[in-house]
Amino acid sequence: MTLPHLSRIRRRARRANGTRIWTWFMLPGTLWMTGFLIASLLLVAVLAVGTTDSLGNPRFGFDLSSIRALTDPAYSQVLLRSLGYSVLTCVICLVVAYPVAYTIALHGGRFKNAMIAAIVVPFFANYLVRMYGWSVVLSDDGPLLKALRDIGLADSGTRILNTGAGVVAGLVYGFVVFMIIPLYAALERLDVSLIEAGRDLYGGPLRTFFFVTLPATRQGAAAGLVLVFLPAMGDFVSAQLMGGPDQIMIGNLIQDKFFQGQNWPLGSALTMMLMLVLLIGMLGYLRRTRKDEAEARR
Amino acid sequence: MDATPAVRLDGVSKQYADSYAVRDVNLDIAAGQFFSLLGPSGCGKTTSLRMIGGFTDPTEGAVLLGGEDVTALPPNKRNVNTVFQSYALFDHLSIADNIAFGLKRKGVDRAEIRRRVGEMLELVQLSGQARRRPRTLSGGQRQRVALARALVNRPAVLLLDEPLAALDLKLRRQMQVELKQIQREVGITFVFVTHDQDEALTMSDRVAVMNEGRVEQCGTPEDVYEHPTSRFVASFMGTSNLMAGTYRDGAVVLDQGPALPVGQRDGMSDGTTVSMSVRPEKIWLSDFEPGMEVLRGVIRETVYSGPTTTYLIELAPGVTLSVLEQNTARARMEDRWIGGETVEFGWRPEHCLVLS
Amino acid sequence: MTLLRTPTTGAATDAARSRTRRRRGRADRRPRLALSVTVLFFALLYLPIAVVVLFSFNTQKSLTVFDGFSLRWYRAFFHDDVLISSLGTSLRISLVAMVGSVLLGAALALGLVRCRTRLGSVAGLVMLVPLITPEIVTGVASMLLFKGLGMTLSTATVMLSEITFSISYVTVILRSRVAALNPEVEEAAMDLGATRWQAVRLVTLPALVPTVLACSVLIFALVFDDFVLAYFTTGVEPQPLSVRIYSAIRFGVQPTINAVGTLMLAGSIGLIALALFIPRLFGRRGGLDLLSGK
Repeated sequence: MTLPHLSRIRRRARRANGTRIWTWFMLPGTLWMTGFLIASLLLVAVLAVGTTDSLGNPRFGFDLSSIRALTDPAYSQVLLRSLGYSVLTCVICLVVAYPVAYTIALHGGRFKNAMIAAIVVPFFANYLVRMYGWSVVLSDDGPLLKALRDIGLADSGTRILNTGAGVVAGLVYGFVVFMIIPLYAALERLDVSLIEAGRDLYGGPLRTFFFVTLPATRQGAAAGLVLVFLPAMGDFVSAQLMGGPDQIMIGNLIQDKFFQGQNWPLGSALTMMLMLVLLIGMLGYLRRTRKDEAEARR
Repeated sequence: MDATPAVRLDGVSKQYADSYAVRDVNLDIAAGQFFSLLGPSGCGKTTSLRMIGGFTDPTEGAVLLGGEDVTALPPNKRNVNTVFQSYALFDHLSIADNIAFGLKRKGVDRAEIRRRVGEMLELVQLSGQARRRPRTLSGGQRQRVALARALVNRPAVLLLDEPLAALDLKLRRQMQVELKQIQREVGITFVFVTHDQDEALTMSDRVAVMNEGRVEQCGTPEDVYEHPTSRFVASFMGTSNLMAGTYRDGAVVLDQGPALPVGQRDGMSDGTTVSMSVRPEKIWLSDFEPGMEVLRGVIRETVYSGPTTTYLIELAPGVTLSVLEQNTARARMEDRWIGGETVEFGWRPEHCLVLS
Repeated sequence: MTLLRTPTTGAATDAARSRTRRRRGRADRRPRLALSVTVLFFALLYLPIAVVVLFSFNTQKSLTVFDGFSLRWYRAFFHDDVLISSLGTSLRISLVAMVGSVLLGAALALGLVRCRTRLGSVAGLVMLVPLITPEIVTGVASMLLFKGLGMTLSTATVMLSEITFSISYVTVILRSRVAALNPEVEEAAMDLGATRWQAVRLVTLPALVPTVLACSVLIFALVFDDFVLAYFTTGVEPQPLSVRIYSAIRFGVQPTINAVGTLMLAGSIGLIALALFIPRLFGRRGGLDLLSGK
């Protein structure tokens, strides 16, 4: 009777061993990420309530002046502008990416993969160089405005660079791929017979699109919106290259506080504010998808 | 029979959070046997096999191999090998290296490895494919590699987890014959998991039918097919015309009304609630012999399927029996019954199964 | 009964089929609007790249008028000691970050898939943080951490933060690959006498080689091109190439940048194409999975 009892104990030891090897695999990466990333993010939070000494060096403490400074209309204006630009960027990305993803997914044939690669590969190539090239294209005597002037869609006074439109154009060019990938994935999965069934039920292609195709790819679009919104809110290169002093975004403010202004607590407070906005966006997205999933289950 | 069984499961259970995958299973598998674990999916047959292989730890009971308790030993310390359902071949190794894997772990010397791998390739008829990669082989060939990879280690017991499930029907029939031949040739104990009752019946020396984590019945293929001891086994093994009723004086009075003669049953008192069944092939439609019970019914459906024809005969409203006839040389197509006809049919009482 | 019904069913199917065929004919007509947007999109996508490449071969400084073909700006780049040393710095950073993040990330991916303990779920969450945090936040945070620890910003601090950021990418890509592995293969190895560690080493790791290689190349390219993290965590000298380009673009246009930009674009496009292609070398289809993992 003692035998099974003994072997049960040994067995438990072995099972623990089996898990332990994977724990050891996981440990270095987890410790690294916690040590560098989580610790550093916490540090930003701590410094947001810190102060500076007379030389401008950051000091730990509990001082709400940086947080209070955020209520300055100058800052809230930048925040609102960043939000506006980012939301506009999201909308334009969706409008541009949808037909592109749709064409490739449903009419790409055997060139599907090649076309997606042709979009994805340059997007992962150097961001700065691409933005720089884009700024040349959008410049006052660049090819785009020249062409628009030639066909009479623009006059000699029309400018893109150094306007809000330029900044949004930069953001769209920078991040539209994050919209195309999830939309393409969703459209790829879409059962073509669903569209055909839609034709049976609703008739016209436009009605089919709005009642069948669009709802079926809503999740992909939602994921794309988040993936574009996150980097767009944090971007500072577009506003720098395509915009002027009147178009600065929250990223430029943060950059300024850490490099030129040397006010780290204020920079940290701005960073925390940015994170807060993004967190609200993320939570909204998660609630939306959870609701969608719940509806799908029903 | 050998005194010590090759495999013994002694009161083995596997309990997950709140349910049992396997519950109190006791099995003895004699050396050299082709033994099948048969049952529907989720009946615990694969879990039982995995416990013999050492991939799953039982929560209770002991696993014995050749009389030795191996419950606490990991898979690499057990003298059994497994042919996995997915074959689980190593894609980055050639066929020969796949087969040599186990021998290399044991530290067998090179020349010996080469010799035994060659032998195995010949046994499974893959001698020309030694240097190819598994991915380039067909399903049947990959199955043979998996078999060779396990057999080359000369295990005491070979475990096979639905190895033929992924093959198409024709190839499956062919592999059934081949597997059986190979087993006879190498003389190793095979424990074979399947949900296909035909497969289990044709290949095995003994079959254990499992259901909901328990062994329902264990015996020779004839035993479990002809003399099922439970309703589950009777219904799982082929079509069985299972009906519920009450036993009364040599007949079963069905819940729907009619009484079916089944012969006097020893030790069964009148009024016992029973299930009865007659196999479709045990029911005759003509040439009745003395001692047979003959009844009448209406043909409701005739299903022709090549070598056999199945009739659905309605005995009373709601009571339908399935009857199987061989389309032998003597039977002419014109003589087949058609729907709506009233026919006589009969059976021998001893072919009726009555379970209380 | 069934036999009787067959003809009607057949007729109905035929009618349905011809209806579908007619409909499909209409569905197959390419939507003209979507197609023209796609064409325009591709044109605008490649126009900036084409401009950079074209003007890198210009004889003059102008970014609007192409005067003639010359390698002048490439020569200028290769004679610019500062830029060349930056290139070396960038390559060193990419190499170290690649090795570090692939080692840590691959181990993490294996652990996350196989180990379903509480530590596993915590690690899974921690790993996602960089993916949902804009780079500027990670950059600011890393800089503060290094300064807080009293470290001088240097090439080493760039390496550390690039590793931190890249681990997530490696883990996300490899995690789905590990999860797709057949667990029976590892069991088969143990069944054939391998210990658990041997099974991982002899069977699991070789199966991951193509993905790990592709992933390494991708990380190398991403780190080499990364600018935001490098910008926040680099010291004054030496600086990574992308930070130099940033300063150059900001403070007046130098045509050398076109040449450097062209070289960088060519390099990273080549590397990313290679990353997509590697799985095919090992006879696996669908290298694009690598990117959709994000």
